[in-house]
Amino acid sequence: MRKLVLSLIMSLALASPAFAGLNVVATLPWIGSLAKEIGKDKISVTTLVKPSQDPHMVEAKPSMILAGRKADILMYDGLDLEIGYLPLILESSRNPKIVPGKPGNFDCSRFVNVIEKHTAVDRSMGDVHPLGNPHYHFSPSNILRVAEGMTNALADLDRGNADYYRANFKSFAAKWKERQNQWQHINLRGKKFVAYHHFFEYLAAEYGFRITEYVEPKPGIPPSAAHIERLIEDMKASKPSGILVTPSIGLKEAESLGAKTGVKVIVLPQDVGSMKGTDDLFSFMDKVISSLR
Amino acid sequence: MRQLTCFLSVAIFCMFSTSAFAKSVEERLNALENTLKSQAKTIEEQQKVIDSLKEEIAKQKSQEPLQKSPEPQQASQEPAQPIEEPQQKAQEESSLSAKVSGFFGGSVLSNPNISLVLDTYYNASTLKNNDLQNRGISGYTTQGLDQRNGFNLREAEFFIFAPVDPYFNLYANIPITTNGISIEEAYAVTTSLPEGFQVKGGRFKSNFSRLDAQHPHAWDFFDIALPYRAFLGNEGLGGENGVQLTWLPSLPVYTLLGAEVLQGENDLLFGQDARSGPHAFTFFAKSSFETSDNSTFYFGPSVLFGTTKNTNIAPGSEVDASSALYGMEAVWKWKPSRDEGLTLQSEYLLLDQNGSITSLGTLNPNSLQRRQDGFYLQGIYQLGRWRFGARYDMLALFADTFKQAGVQQQPSGSTPWRATGAIEFNPSEFTRIRLQYNHDASSRFGSNNDQAILQFLFGIGAHAAHNF
Repeated sequence: MRKLVLSLIMSLALASPAFAGLNVVATLPWIGSLAKEIGKDKISVTTLVKPSQDPHMVEAKPSMILAGRKADILMYDGLDLEIGYLPLILESSRNPKIVPGKPGNFDCSRFVNVIEKHTAVDRSMGDVHPLGNPHYHFSPSNILRVAEGMTNALADLDRGNADYYRANFKSFAAKWKERQNQWQHINLRGKKFVAYHHFFEYLAAEYGFRITEYVEPKPGIPPSAAHIERLIEDMKASKPSGILVTPSIGLKEAESLGAKTGVKVIVLPQDVGSMKGTDDLFSFMDKVISSLR
Repeated sequence: MRQLTCFLSVAIFCMFSTSAFAKSVEERLNALENTLKSQAKTIEEQQKVIDSLKEEIAKQKSQEPLQKSPEPQQASQEPAQPIEEPQQKAQEESSLSAKVSGFFGGSVLSNPNISLVLDTYYNASTLKNNDLQNRGISGYTTQGLDQRNGFNLREAEFFIFAPVDPYFNLYANIPITTNGISIEEAYAVTTSLPEGFQVKGGRFKSNFSRLDAQHPHAWDFFDIALPYRAFLGNEGLGGENGVQLTWLPSLPVYTLLGAEVLQGENDLLFGQDARSGPHAFTFFAKSSFETSDNSTFYFGPSVLFGTTKNTNIAPGSEVDASSALYGMEAVWKWKPSRDEGLTLQSEYLLLDQNGSITSLGTLNPNSLQRRQDGFYLQGIYQLGRWRFGARYDMLALFADTFKQAGVQQQPSGSTPWRATGAIEFNPSEFTRIRLQYNHDASSRFGSNNDQAILQFLFGIGAHAAHNF
């Protein structure tokens, strides 16, 4: 009996796919998508969070732990966005390659100019990230910085293919910069928007518009009726150009607010793949910019 | 200032370039190149300032091991702003160290992460306080319910955790009640063993079955399921001193295998002095697979066995026996969106106990043979910030043997069972308000316990994530 079990386990272990490339585990879809741009067919990417999922409210599932167990490198957004599940995955996956301090632990936020850092925070302010706003993937220049860091990390782990990764980065960067120039043509300077969540601060900073108010009274706290009423009053006076929202977080609230104020609701993808035709970073950013137009 | 000039020059350039279509492409490219060159120069100069400042810092704290912090990757050809401003040098080192250990929420070099969970409730039962205190389950346990009518403080529970070094993480869980302080858990767990192995040692909650490993504040209901109460006590097995080895092989399907050697202090299934030395052991397996894009199934068998010696099983008697408790857990979770979810969960426990039972009055030992079981089935439906729960638990499902000197005890009396309903409101992740109703017919004899509980749970500080 014991021999049978043992041989079963051994055969299962041997039967697991014999993929020679690097096993990349990314928390968010945009990170996985970026890794694919750099690694192409030399890596296999597993993404833990689905595009439609709220990245703040993810629960660690056994399948995620198993993915972590097999990872050569773990790539994550950082700034405590994944605090609710990633520490658990790290410990439970029992994989020394991906623990903090190892080259297989890749924190994308290290390469980013972080905004909205808070020095004095407590939870009466809602779900505030003290290390800064973690939604920096809405900034094309940040994407480029992360891409370069990612290239170095992959090249470091997989020396044999270092030149391949560097060449991929080069062509990605060239293409991305070209697209950046096109996106830069959008003139949003000085425009005012209302947003549901603190998702778009990097976008605002990069394209020069302002987010004057939030439908959430505090990050992560759904609005009360009184807050909505006050917001309607304010919006009638300030006449913002739109209400920015993502498909899976606060769309209902934003639509009802839009109906009451006549301000148009602008639905932006929250991540790569969360709306139709946003399957890679280019089309994601295209969609974001064209929706704001 | 220089950046501003650069920025202005780019902006002006852009304005010109868009309005003046007549300009040849070559001209524009040249201009762009020049701008980039000047920016690159600026960046280089600023990078030098930063580097020299970093050197200074490194000199000042050369024994500080965290200086391996990652350098921001500055490509010279990139129109990027320097990531750290020189005047922020004091902040720089703190923010860098925060990033290195930021996995647990900020810098934890000087202080570990600490959180406090307050668990408090109001109890309204049809039974008097005295009856609650003496309400055991006949044939299983003499331990009563530690609840009074009116206001109760169950506990204020401290959690402390941090990485010890690159090889261990340390966790401690210290509940404080009005009876004093206890150490529920205090253990170190390895982080760097190869091949999917992990060792945990110290005092910890066993991974035998499902509810044992959870802290009371993480239960889906106010109280533990009836089979646990009947075989292990009001808090399950609880913290046990010992060591655990687990293995997560790299298989296509999540499979965790584990074994534990425990001291065996639980005073219902074991007993502190049942043997000098460890006398409780577990083996368990947990497996899981996705049943769809939005749902997961999780299940596993486990066994807990060892030596029993205590006076809490039958009134006025000491049981001296060898025991084995077999468990099977199954959980199915469906989570289609952040605002909706359903969890179905069930466990089955079967006790085999053979030995002797001695009446403390006569000191005359008789043989004892027990084979008893129990199960529960529960469902939790989440809608937005609300959760609705229902649970049914029952003992003596298939086995109800309690033979003293070969004679079955308690031949009459109804099958112990309990039905529970609960409504929860969670204003945030850190507050839980729960209203629960129990119809408890578990005592075999005497009156039922109809009970309403209004429970408040608050958590502050950095709390570690909960298991699946």
